Amino acid sequence: MTVEGELALARRALSHLAGDQAQATVTHERSLCTRFACSAATQATAIDDTSVELLCVLDGHTGAASTNQVDDPGLADAARLARDAAAAAARSGTGAYPGLPQPQPTPTHDGYDRATASLEAAVAGSALAAAFAGCRDRGLEAFGIWTAGEVTMAIASSTGIEVTDAVTDAGMTVIARDHDGRSGYAASTAVAAGAIDAAALAAAAAARVSADERQRLEPGEYPVVLDHAAVATLLDFLGALAFNGLAHAELRGALCGAIGMPVAAPCISLADSTRGPGTLPRSFDAEGVPKRPLALIEQGIARAVVHDTRSAALADTRSTGHALAPGGSPDGPEPTNLVLAGGDAATLAELCAPIERGLFVTRLWYVNTVEPRRALLTGMTRDGTFLIEDGVIGRPLHDVRFTDSALRILAATEQLTAAQRLVSDTDLYGRRFAKGVLCPALRAGAFRVSGGSA
Amino acid sequence: MEARWVERTSEQLRVSGGCVDGIECTTEQGVGIRVAVAGCGFGFAATREATKTGLELALARAVAVARALPASRSRTQLAPVPPAHGHWASVCEIDPFTLSLSERLELLLEAEALLRGDPRIVRGVAESLAVRTVVAFASSDGAAFTQERTECGGGISVHAAADGELQQRSYPAGHGGSVALAGHEHLLALDLPAHAPRIAEEALALLNAPPCPSGRTTLVLGDEQLALQIHESIGHALELDRILLGEASYAGASWVSPADVGTLRYGSPLLAISADATLPGGLGSFGWDDEGVTAQRTMLIEDGVLRATLSDRQSAAAIGAPSGGAARADGFARQPIVRMTNVSLEPGESGTLEQLIAEVPSGVYMETNRSWSIDDRRLHFQFGTEIAREIRDGKLGRLLRNPTYAGVTPEFWNSLEAVASAPAWRLWGLLNCGKGEPGQYAHVSHGTAPARFRDVEVGVLR
Repeated sequence: MTVEGELALARRALSHLAGDQAQATVTHERSLCTRFACSAATQATAIDDTSVELLCVLDGHTGAASTNQVDDPGLADAARLARDAAAAAARSGTGAYPGLPQPQPTPTHDGYDRATASLEAAVAGSALAAAFAGCRDRGLEAFGIWTAGEVTMAIASSTGIEVTDAVTDAGMTVIARDHDGRSGYAASTAVAAGAIDAAALAAAAAARVSADERQRLEPGEYPVVLDHAAVATLLDFLGALAFNGLAHAELRGALCGAIGMPVAAPCISLADSTRGPGTLPRSFDAEGVPKRPLALIEQGIARAVVHDTRSAALADTRSTGHALAPGGSPDGPEPTNLVLAGGDAATLAELCAPIERGLFVTRLWYVNTVEPRRALLTGMTRDGTFLIEDGVIGRPLHDVRFTDSALRILAATEQLTAAQRLVSDTDLYGRRFAKGVLCPALRAGAFRVSGGSA
Repeated sequence: MEARWVERTSEQLRVSGGCVDGIECTTEQGVGIRVAVAGCGFGFAATREATKTGLELALARAVAVARALPASRSRTQLAPVPPAHGHWASVCEIDPFTLSLSERLELLLEAEALLRGDPRIVRGVAESLAVRTVVAFASSDGAAFTQERTECGGGISVHAAADGELQQRSYPAGHGGSVALAGHEHLLALDLPAHAPRIAEEALALLNAPPCPSGRTTLVLGDEQLALQIHESIGHALELDRILLGEASYAGASWVSPADVGTLRYGSPLLAISADATLPGGLGSFGWDDEGVTAQRTMLIEDGVLRATLSDRQSAAAIGAPSGGAARADGFARQPIVRMTNVSLEPGESGTLEQLIAEVPSGVYMETNRSWSIDDRRLHFQFGTEIAREIRDGKLGRLLRNPTYAGVTPEFWNSLEAVASAPAWRLWGLLNCGKGEPGQYAHVSHGTAPARFRDVEVGVLR
């Protein structure tokens, strides 16, 4: 199907809610995921599916229904469910939903690659072969995933919104592992599968596997260099904890009372943007509101939180284009394209140079929130944790647990690399939704280690 | 070759601030086809087009993606299984999909109203979930069966905020409440309105409670928190695909090795863990798994010693064993992988929660999960709960806020010194168990009774 086909389907779905304030959203996913372990392919999954979400608005309430049965009987059933849901909700009194947004011009972007959209399985096969060879040459085994997808989307609403978008994304993760379980990680995400260099990823992952015995690090506070992937994970959590406009309005957010105040080091400037090079572009959010760059932290000063139509009404402001679901998610909006400005360090080695004794973290794993108001997180390091001694990355460490505030780490940040990297945690649960964090690596003066696996 | 047609219907209702916060009804159906191509590997393709043309295209795609895999040591053997035939359906006394939305909303509105009143309550939520999944399965081995599962449940939660502090309480569990393989009768039995005033009061009281102190002490865990402890540090660790490194790139591996079965002391002699897909009400119960293996009950750990792992046909074949019947897929567009069924701590002989506490001179009692994290080998974990109480001289004392505890899996389970008896045992459903790429959420249950552990680190980095 083409975006024109998606739009025609959205119009047809909307016609089943004629007379109501309503929105129809069509999302078509075609994707391929190929997984590997122990230098052998393990699973290959090809998906082709279309979903239609119908939102009916009645007296400040929303009712939503979705289906992948896109014939008229299927759409009529979904429309009936959405209308019944809105009517049942409206019986509880007037609701707080302010109504569907009005049409606005949406930006174009270059986030679509026709070759990637062809989803050639042979491209995946070649990438796996290159990763296997790259690891084998270094006496290691390869684990990971290669994936590519095309997602086309259309929204039609009773307020006159008619927008379409088409995006592609491709990514590969390679974990190189030796027989003692020491592992290294490298990953890459881009709009085009052609930008994924499997051999280079295998080499980079292998370079993080040290032949030396791993040391144990005692709990305590250490200077740290966080590589791009680790920084991205912290920022992704901060996005949910600090910049969710609904949580902020309900006094649950980590930046409550702090807008306009210093919350990070002056070298920290964080925005949400789908425009810059290296991002995963997107034209509009789940309500059809255009995506525009938004400064969240400027030189350490908190500037804004993000909104969808629902949270904006609560905060007496306008949507910033961050709805995650038609009508706004009950859990509120979130930034999905965070961009942390780069600094002046040319290399990771330059970041490490001032540290007498600290740690280098390749990536974080199983991070979760401990106390949301403090943005206090816990999680493990994984696939390449090293001791920094006398300014140089040295002996490997057993993985450690950190328990620290993302805001505290940003406040302790001293220097960032100039080079940013797109780190994607593309949502492969449910309908594919490509998103990512564009960020540099950083050095922070304090990072709290609370335990470890050893 | 296997083909699974799946139709899944769900309704999620949510009430907040005296209004209906959202009603989402979802219907999806389609077919997932898995093929084993000798010398290449497994290919899987999913389509919503359940027509002859649609299925032929999906089959061709599954074969094509398998054939494109690089030559390697890919295994396409599956453990043998007798072909499954018949129909199975879970028990559903009151079909939630036959009730009006208004009737179900009324219950939630009543419960949510009882959460509010104090200006420090910044958010109250009452929610319910109903899911029906119908599956038709056929394989080139000759299997042909259908099954229907209905899940239902819900819960309430409340946030209180003041002076920069934020506290949360939930009933009967965090993360969406309690969901079971049952009908609307399960939601009614939870009696949400009766518990709303209590959790609101507790959330407010926690705002001014002292923080959980740091140190090592005796820890008593409520049964709901223990369910997640078992899930993370036993259930996932015993998934055979992880043990064989098949999930090393994403979900992770395991500290357990295949050779440990039969000899590894996982925990104290009081530790007995079962995997039971026949348990009434369990979200991990079914007639057959998603590879057509009949539901079974297996003891994973007995007297603290590892006896078995969770497996599917593919991982079982790799070690020359029969499948453990734990292959499950999240809808039609995902292929089956090793998942938990109902992995439960068998009840002990230490009486009630009160009797567990009565034997503790000094310690901490924690309940209702709020935060969880564990490393990729399932060794070092850290959990946070919504609420804790000091234990002094065998009695519960003052409230403690922001409680956390941490440990290392075998040390922790070897410190198990008491498990409450059968009357205190109940099933807890989890809806958010993520694994696989593309990602899959599994619905699983864990049966637990409150338990006591000695010398555990609490109050991490206060």
